[in-house]
Parts: sequence; structure tokens; C-alpha cells
Amino acid sequence: MPDAPLLQLEGVRIRHEGAERATPDGVDLVVRPGEVVLLLGPSGCGKSTLALALNGLVPHSVPAELDGRVLVGGLDTREHRVGELAERVAMVFQDPDAQVVTNTLLDEVCFGPENLRLPVAEVLERAERALKLVGLWERRADDPARLSGGGRQRLAIAAALAMGSPVLVLDEPTANLDPAGIDEVYAVLRELASDRDHAIVLVEHNLDAAADLVDRVVVLDADGRLVADGPTREVLTGRADELAALGVWLPVSTLAALRLRETGVAIEPLPITPAELGAALDAAPTLPAPREAAPAPVEPGSPAVPPLVSAHGLSVRRGGRRGPLVVHEVELEVPAGDFLAVVGVNGAGKSSLLQALAGVLAPAAGRIEAAGIDPARADAATRSRAIGYVFQNPEHQFVAGTVAGELEQALALQGAPEAKRAASVASMLERFGLAEAATRHPFLLSGGQKRRLSVGTALIAGAPLLVLDEPTFGQDRERAGELVALLRGLNDAGTTVIAATHDLQLVADHASRVAVMAEGRLLGVGPTAEVLAGPLIEQAGLRHPPLARATRGLANHPEWRAVTRWAQLPAPRGEA
Amino acid sequence: MSALGETTVAHGGPLRSLNALAKLAGPVPVMIALVFTRGVPLPLAFAVFAALVLLVGARLGAGWVLVILLGVPALAAVLGASFGIWVDQATLPADAAGSQLVLAELGDWRFTGAMYLVGFATALRIAAIILLAFVSGLTTTGAELVRALVQQLRVPYRLGYTALAAMRFVPRFGHELEVIRAARRVRGVDRDRGPIAWLRGTVGLAVPLLASAIRHAERVALAMDARAFGAHDSRTERTISRWRRRDTVFVLGFWLVSAVLWWAVETAVA
Repeated sequence: MPDAPLLQLEGVRIRHEGAERATPDGVDLVVRPGEVVLLLGPSGCGKSTLALALNGLVPHSVPAELDGRVLVGGLDTREHRVGELAERVAMVFQDPDAQVVTNTLLDEVCFGPENLRLPVAEVLERAERALKLVGLWERRADDPARLSGGGRQRLAIAAALAMGSPVLVLDEPTANLDPAGIDEVYAVLRELASDRDHAIVLVEHNLDAAADLVDRVVVLDADGRLVADGPTREVLTGRADELAALGVWLPVSTLAALRLRETGVAIEPLPITPAELGAALDAAPTLPAPREAAPAPVEPGSPAVPPLVSAHGLSVRRGGRRGPLVVHEVELEVPAGDFLAVVGVNGAGKSSLLQALAGVLAPAAGRIEAAGIDPARADAATRSRAIGYVFQNPEHQFVAGTVAGELEQALALQGAPEAKRAASVASMLERFGLAEAATRHPFLLSGGQKRRLSVGTALIAGAPLLVLDEPTFGQDRERAGELVALLRGLNDAGTTVIAATHDLQLVADHASRVAVMAEGRLLGVGPTAEVLAGPLIEQAGLRHPPLARATRGLANHPEWRAVTRWAQLPAPRGEA
Repeated sequence: MSALGETTVAHGGPLRSLNALAKLAGPVPVMIALVFTRGVPLPLAFAVFAALVLLVGARLGAGWVLVILLGVPALAAVLGASFGIWVDQATLPADAAGSQLVLAELGDWRFTGAMYLVGFATALRIAAIILLAFVSGLTTTGAELVRALVQQLRVPYRLGYTALAAMRFVPRFGHELEVIRAARRVRGVDRDRGPIAWLRGTVGLAVPLLASAIRHAERVALAMDARAFGAHDSRTERTISRWRRRDTVFVLGFWLVSAVLWWAVETAVA
């Protein structure tokens, strides 16, 4: 029976221990050999939980209650252990660091087949095939820790392939990767998808990368109910409005085409990739003029705004005085009121540069002045009045037992009288939507709340400068969007923002200027539109954001080639 | 030092090819016996013996040869002084060797050669035990030890390989601790000195570190489950850990040489 279902879900509802409602809630789904299925839904809809149910981790290893039935190759997951199901469904998780258990790439890929008690010859044969498929065979003797994030995730895919399972489930495999890593992983997935040897179930937010390789899209709504299941193009384009209303992030190209339709440009069918959007735009006989890019806050030639941050000849070492130089002779000036995005692949030196600017790391050489102080010399109280620094993982910087205590600690450091503190704390809690959580432990907040609290503690002492290290890393688009809106608001109110990030579409839409880093050097700084139109992004090993990719190569509409940000698209009729 | 990677400090040599358990079974009884010795000659003899075994039996880089030949003796000399300072002169016999030799003087208090010798004996014991531990430590990988424990000693594989996976947490937590320290500096906490502030600071560090450790451990456990770890009572051992005749010879030889050395030193001193 070549077409017997590999996975069969009947009325699956899963309630996590302690949760009030079940997400997913009543999902029916059948996956057949060779299918490539994308599972979509807004944050909290339970798509990752559903992925965990596909090999029995729910309910066997994760404390959760499973209703309905999950059949894996005909076996009910409730009655079979994860170990048995693992031969039928292999899994790749989000965090590449948390999947490595051995000391060499070869051992890592052999680990699964060894657990299945396969003969040594077959273990090695499978390992070789899997490592070759992901392009890591030459590095089989290396320690996995020496691979990049993308490399480790490819290794995790190889380890899953070596299980020999007909189904491969990937739970947000690129959420923790930089753009180069995302491309590496998708190159491998594209090959797997075209081989048709495996059925693939992919949970992914990054539709721009995934849309062109999946044949089928399954969508859950915020309550975890199945609302759409069908061929990719049919679902993404035919029900685009409905999906957007659910809070599902459509590919940027699809959204841009929808916006253009509203302005009267007939784009049919709707594109789902930048290439398709580009082709559709070129095919259109006329296009309305794009809107002007938002004027840069600092007009060229105006000497009015003195720099708030200036770094000259700045070099930074990692790991103490004898550690390697990771930032080389950076010259950087950031005017007050700027929203500067620092971009670059992992290891380009973004974090080290930011940490030196904020006084977290002392520079090895050079001069820094930030908000009127030398951040490396100033004491903690002075520094936190001038610079707010937000770490990548907000938990790292929590020091108090309650949310209000976190904010109060920052004021106590300034020696503010107690009576005054309460009022400031209350207004900050209100401003960041944390009033109801004031007495909770910071570690018990949701991801978005933690992030807001960390920004709040960084700003409560009145710092005019906010520095953030990859604030959107590992978050889904919805949370990333919330955070960027928050930063946008702060910036509009006068706070100077410097943020390292991987998400170039967010950069395109919000940053006023972009600094591009590669291998510890600053390749260049400039207004966002100029940088995105120039060669720096590619020189740094990054890829242009989807909208820029669609418009850069336009042959027929030269005035559209500089369109990189959402705000440049023509306004719908009746607006503007 | 050899927990990570499939490489050891030693690049080769006969010790590399011995079973991991043999390299433990030989020295460990001697290490235990040394804990209960007094005086300088016995630990000195075994420190030299262990150093010889290492230098002959393992191909070491220049750095580690220096550690063995100079680093460990220097450590013993320094530790000897710092232990010796705490020796109470009154407990030593008046005619103890070196009691007339005054090395340092501070008011009434004298640091005599006899005091130094008592401290040095303790330091030498530590040095000898370190060198004996190097015999396996510098020549065995964590994976080899786990394989030998599972295959020869029948330690459950779930335990052994989980421990091996857990070793990979160590560098990660080192890095994480560094970040948390930096974050606390930025927040301006842990500025007070003294034991209570230290304790509070340590607890403050532990909370985020533990939270992250538990989350990480859960994820690793899920990833291992998903790859059928623990599904069966045994797993394929791709590398067979063998107990050969030379392992038996090494262990018995090590014990025999140690016993003879012990007896020779004891009779020579008496």
C-alpha cells in the first residue's frame, strides 16, 4: 500500500498540565508518503505541541493530556513508547545547542541508529549517507561545538535522517539562526523535499523561506482549531485575507501584492515568493508611483544634531586581556534620536560592539563617549542614568523577586527616595502593560512580558540611550513585531535606539540608519534605504529583505527599484 | 580535561591504547593509600614514579611535559609554604629536622624549616595524587571511560551516556555564567563586600543559571528520547572496549611496582 497514511490524527486535543484550555483543539490530519506539509498558526495556537505529539513525546515525555488519537504508521502513540515511534517519525527541534549529545559529528549521527540496536555496518552506512546529504561528511571528526548555528542544525537534520524514518518533523528549525544559517538549512530541506523519500512536516514562522518548498499548508487559529488544509498556493493566496485576520504571517511578497491590489494594480495570481512578486510587477504595464521613503530624521548637511554616541578606533577583545580581538578599529557616530540597526552574520562582532558602547565590556583600544559619559569608566549608577542595555536573554538580567522589585532596584541604585520610587514604578508598569503582573516573579512572565520588563528596567533611570542585543532572536514574528512597535514608540518619543538584529525586513521598516558588520569590522553606516540599495548587505554575507529582493531586479519600473520598506508601497485608494 | 572531544592531552603512546578502567584500577589504590601516609619520602617517590609512567607511557606536548616536570613541583613547593604557616610549632618534637632553621620571622612568630617540611609533606601528597590521576586523566576520553564502564563493568548505558551528554553542558554554563555576571554588573548589584553579600550574590547568580539549566536539560532529554535513547535494554556499541591481556599486565605490574617501591622507601627511611 504505497499510499497508506504515515500519520493520522483524529480529533487531537492537547492540554498542557496546568493550562486551562486545550491547544491544539480537535485537529484531524492525514500525512501521506512524500508530502511536504507546512503547519501554520499564530503564537500560542499549539503548533509546536502538535509537532511533539507526532512522535509520542506528548503524552509520554511532556506532561500533557492527549485526547483523540495519533496514529503513526498505524500505531497508536498512546500505546507505544517514544523509542518505538522514533523509527517512524524523526524530529528536529528549534535550539541547535540542545540537540547535541556526543563529541563528534560522526558519533552524533550514529547515536540514533545505535539506540535502535542496528548492526555496526548499517549504523555507519546510514551515518555516511546522512552526513553527505547535509554536506558535513568531510567534517565528521570535528566537535559539533565548532560548527556554526546553521551547521549544527544541519547536523540535527542528519541525525534525524539517520533514524531511517519515513516522516521528518521539524519544529521551527530556523528560529535561532542567522540569515546565512537559515539559507543553509533551507538548501538541505529543499533537496529533501524534492527527493520525495520523506514526508516532511514543517512548523515555521518564516514563510518567506518556506513557502516555495511545501506542497500543502495546514493552518490552526488562535484557539488551536484547524481552519485550513490544502495546497500551498490555494491556501496562502486564496484565503490570504482570512489568514491575515487570524494573525498568521503571510509571505511579505503576498502581503505586498495584496496591498497593490487595493491600489488598483491587478496582480493575478498572488505571488508567494520575492521572485514571483518581481515578475508580476514587471508584467504590470503601469505601476502607481511608490511613496517617498520616510525622510531620515537627520537631514544630510544639518549640523544641528551632535552625536549622542561616538566611538573612535574602538577595538574589543573577548575572554579577557589575552582573548582574540573581535571588533577592529570601529569609527561610529550615532546622532541623538537615531534608530540604528546593527546587522551582520553571527560572529561578526555585533554583540561585542554593542557591549562596549554600553560599558558592559571594556574596550581594548579606542575612545567611546555615550550620552555624555565614558561607559567603561562610569560607575553603575551613572551608567544606568545614561545608557540602558538589554541583554539577548532577558532572564540573565533579572535580579529581584518581583516585577515591581526589578524596576525598584534600578531606582534604588540611583539613591531615589522610597516615596518617589513607588510612583515611578507604577507609571512604568502601566506604560509597559505590566501592572497586573507587578507582584509576580519575573521568571514566571510570558516571553513578551519578560522582554518588556527588561526594556523597562533599562529605561526607568531615565537613560536617553537604549542599546539592545538581538531583541528579536528566537521570537516569532508576532512578538518581534510587538517589540519593534515598542521600540518605535520609544524612539518617536526621543530615545536613541541602537539594536543588533538579524531580521532585515524589520530593519527596512523601522530603522533610520543601518550599520553593517562583518568579521569584526564596520563595513559601513548609512541611511537605511541607501544601505539596503547598496552592496554592503551582500558583502556582509547577508541577504536582502524580501521586498528589496523583489524590487531590486525590476526591468520595467526603475522608480520601484529602491522600494524596500512597507511604508513606501502606495497607499490604498481613499487613504493617503 | 578530556571530557570533551575525542582527543586527549596525550597524542599517543602505550597508555592511550590501554583500557580506561585499567588506567584507573592501577593508580587508584595507590592514591587512596597515599592519603594516609605521613612524611616526605613516600609521596615524593610516587610523584616521581607517576611522572615517569606518564613521560614514558604517553606522548605529551611540550606544555604538559613542563606542567609535570616544573608546574606540579612548583605547586607543591608553594602549597608547602602555605600549609606550613599553619603548623603549630608546639606540636612538633623539639629535635625535628630543620627546627633550628628559621626561614622567616615576624615578631615572636617563627617559620622554621620543620614547619615547612610538615606542610611540604602534605603538599607532596597532593602532588603525587594529582600526577597519579593524570595517568588516566591525560590519556583517556570521557567517551572511552563511559564505554569501558558500560561494557566491562555493566554500568547501565542510560546512566553512562546521559552523563556524557551532561558533560557538554559545562562550557555552555561557563559562558552563561559570564553573561549573567556582566548583566548583574550592569544592573549595579553585587557591589557590597563581605560574606553575606557574597552569599546573596551567589544565590542571585544561581537562579537564572538554574532556570536555564533545567530548561536546557529538558530540551536535551526530549531530543534524546526522539532519537530512541533508552528504547531498548542495550544499544549498539560501535567501538568495542576490550580488556586485553596487556590491561591485566598493566594493573598487576602497577600494583607490584608500587608495593616494591613502598617497601623500599619504608625500609630505607627506617
